Amino acid sequence: MKYSYISAKNKSVITKEFKLLFTFFGVTFFMLFMTYMFLIYKDYSFDQDSIYISNAKIELRKKIKDMQSDIAFVEKQNLFSEGVFTNNSVLKDSITNLFDLVPNRITLSQAKLLENGLILYGITPNEDVYNFMLAAPLRSIFHRSYSSFYPAQNGWLKFVSTNYIDKEDEVTRREDLPNED
Amino acid sequence: MKTNLSRQLLYLLIISAILFIFVLLFSFLVLVPSGKEYRIKRTAVKKQSLELRQLENFSFDVEQKLQKLKSDNRHITTAFDTKFNEKRFQKQYKTHFTSLELSKQDELEKEQGFSVYEVNTTSHISSPQSFYNFLDAVNKSDWIISINFPINFQREDQEIKSSFSMKVYSNSKDLNSTKS
Repeated sequence: MKYSYISAKNKSVITKEFKLLFTFFGVTFFMLFMTYMFLIYKDYSFDQDSIYISNAKIELRKKIKDMQSDIAFVEKQNLFSEGVFTNNSVLKDSITNLFDLVPNRITLSQAKLLENGLILYGITPNEDVYNFMLAAPLRSIFHRSYSSFYPAQNGWLKFVSTNYIDKEDEVTRREDLPNED
Repeated sequence: MKTNLSRQLLYLLIISAILFIFVLLFSFLVLVPSGKEYRIKRTAVKKQSLELRQLENFSFDVEQKLQKLKSDNRHITTAFDTKFNEKRFQKQYKTHFTSLELSKQDELEKEQGFSVYEVNTTSHISSPQSFYNFLDAVNKSDWIISINFPINFQREDQEIKSSFSMKVYSNSKDLNSTKS
């Protein structure tokens, strides 16, 4: 027996309200999990970046240290070679000065340049010419000067002039000695 | 007062409450700490990146300085690396002398970490000027050469016989000892 013309709808557990609720929470869970996944991924990515940066920093520090060591080495080479070049230039000036020192009337036969002295062999017309024109300037340069003469065949005098520069402590010791006069 | 709640609505409310609690717990127990950690790590990585960039800039500056130094002192660095060659030396400098003879090389004690070879030289020059020219030229040579005492000049007819020793400096075979 029918009481209504409208046929009864089948009742389902999942009603419209349930669908709405599940859709809402489904979207919410999806967003939460996506956020969580994003955080996990970024966490992993930051860890990787951190490891990469640490390694890069170690390598860079090593590279910088090597380059600084190279710079110090080139500077050392530069400084050392400058010293060598200066010594050669000073040596050239010393030899130039030595030959300029010898007057035209005196002829040298041999010159020995030592580290702390100079030995000259030569010939002079007479002792006075030697004393005034060569011995005087030599005495002003060197601390100790010794000269010896012996006659040459042409009537001139052969001479040997030995000159030394004392080291500073030797000069001080010499000055400290009581005067013999 | 009597509330009229259907069973279905009650289920709906209970499920909603459970899901809501789950969302809250997940958010506060998992997401918030992870977020905090994310922020901390992001700041740390930014700081590290900044340090790395500064280090890279510094490294670039040091590299530039090294390159400039190397190019400015190319002659010196090459000279220290070049092994002394008697024949080449004679070929290069014989123009300054009438005759030039070099004796055997003796290795001396290292100076400031550099290897030192002593070479004795006997030569004839026409005038002291030739020797001055040689001293000027030796500073531009392919080797680092120091002219040493004693130097002996002796008149021989119209020429001057000169004898002197030279010290030739080069990088030690063990570069580390030179660098230190």
